[in-house]
Amino acid sequence: MFGYVEPDKPELKIREFDVFRGYYCSLCKSIGKRYGQVSRLSLNYDLTFLYILLDSLSTIPASGRMQRCMVHPLKKRFIVSSNIFAEYTSDMNIILMYYNLIDRWKDDKNILAGTGALAMKRAYKKAKKRYPEKCEAIESHLKHLTELEKNNCDSIDEAAEPFASVMRELFECGYIKDENERKTLGWLGYNLGRWIYIIDAYDDLEKDAGQKAYNPLISQYGYKGNGDGIGDFRESIKEKVNFTLTYSLSEAEKAYSLLGIEKNKGILDNILYSGLIARTDRVLRERGRENEKESV
Amino acid sequence: MKKNPYKVLGIKEGASYDEIKRAYRELAKKYHPDRYRNNPLADLAEEKMREINEAYDFLMKNAGGSYQYQTGYEQSYENSNASQSSHSQQYQSQQQTGSQYQSGYNTRYQYEDETELERKVRMFINSGNLNEAQRILDRMQARNAAWYYLQGLVFLRRGWYDRGYTNIQKAVNMDPTNFEYRNALNNLNQQYTGYRQNYYYRNSYHNNPDMCNLCMNLWCADTLCECMGGDLIRCC
Repeated sequence: MFGYVEPDKPELKIREFDVFRGYYCSLCKSIGKRYGQVSRLSLNYDLTFLYILLDSLSTIPASGRMQRCMVHPLKKRFIVSSNIFAEYTSDMNIILMYYNLIDRWKDDKNILAGTGALAMKRAYKKAKKRYPEKCEAIESHLKHLTELEKNNCDSIDEAAEPFASVMRELFECGYIKDENERKTLGWLGYNLGRWIYIIDAYDDLEKDAGQKAYNPLISQYGYKGNGDGIGDFRESIKEKVNFTLTYSLSEAEKAYSLLGIEKNKGILDNILYSGLIARTDRVLRERGRENEKESV
Repeated sequence: MKKNPYKVLGIKEGASYDEIKRAYRELAKKYHPDRYRNNPLADLAEEKMREINEAYDFLMKNAGGSYQYQTGYEQSYENSNASQSSHSQQYQSQQQTGSQYQSGYNTRYQYEDETELERKVRMFINSGNLNEAQRILDRMQARNAAWYYLQGLVFLRRGWYDRGYTNIQKAVNMDPTNFEYRNALNNLNQQYTGYRQNYYYRNSYHNNPDMCNLCMNLWCADTLCECMGGDLIRCC
């Protein structure tokens, strides 16, 4: 369910796009250096957003240089120099991805996920050692989520709570010293997590209905059947889903406003005011099909 | 040390009155208490608003434009606080009506017929102790409009917007004459549309080409053809 947080690319300036990619590459490199090449495959845009956000809270301008990397060996690219936030987000990325793979392995015995989890196990242990409390909190939220899914929880609010809390945990980064800022980041993370969880559920309606898998929207709005008429069902709940998604984003935006960030403002504004809502509209409109390949 | 008022408003030193006013209005809209109703960060927004008001009053008093910040901002700062200009007072009084719903139980005239428990729930919501508020709500017997309204507020504060909306909607349906419930529902819808209409995600490339666009393109093509001596649409 990752990779929904992205900039609205056509609205980005070219310079901003380069910086955005610079952050992405920096994070990718940091993961590779600290956890081995296989783990690099796990990187996604959501964590890149977190990296940019945290880094933008400090006033030191982003520095970097043109470098080559293994993934793009032909052309030198601008890569932001790694710092404490790159390390933090790459650790969180490993932890999150590991749980995600384990979950998929347990759910439907996906061989690829199982192998991936095995390959990432060492990296995960290393990350866990650095952040034992965070891991514990995340684990308990995810356990709660598994329980809710097992009991076929029929409230999207309740079902979204654990994942949103995981995101709150990630955003409340211990390296941010100001307590108010941490609290604000937490609320931003919570609402973003809630948005991700619900938009993912809407995106997967057809798939889940076909496989009779758990989906909070199907449970709450009582869809019965196995795939037929799912299009009509999708249309019938669209307005409600639209409201809850947009409202979550508006709350995330309010938290973001309070941070009063100046650094990388163009990129972050683009994501908060344009990228997320554009993504929402795309998923609401496009019946989800085209997006399947984009989300892990 | 107080912050530089120009920095607070995000403008250059020596900005004109108009620029100061514009920046102030923009920020006041952004951090307005109405936007942060039912938001756990309301206190931070209030603080920000106060900062903005102070900076604005100071600049308005001390000749925006030519005034240099370094020369004794500190001393005259206190004076400017003592007598606030009318403009910001207007915003502050709005601020008060805005937070009326948060610190609502102070304004007695509106909640005369409230039970003791409801008053307690409001108090816990205001102080952010949602678990305690929920506990009392669960214990209450009557499921009247007020109950649904308060339950809705608790959900909103938790970030459970779907249930929050449903509950407040229900309160409005049960008691359509109550101004407070209707106001809360309107506010929810306003936040939704407000975010959607925001900034540059408007009528840009996201919109599909429409008929106007088609006609425009045809007309352009025709004009271009005529420039080169040809003609695409004979009648014009």
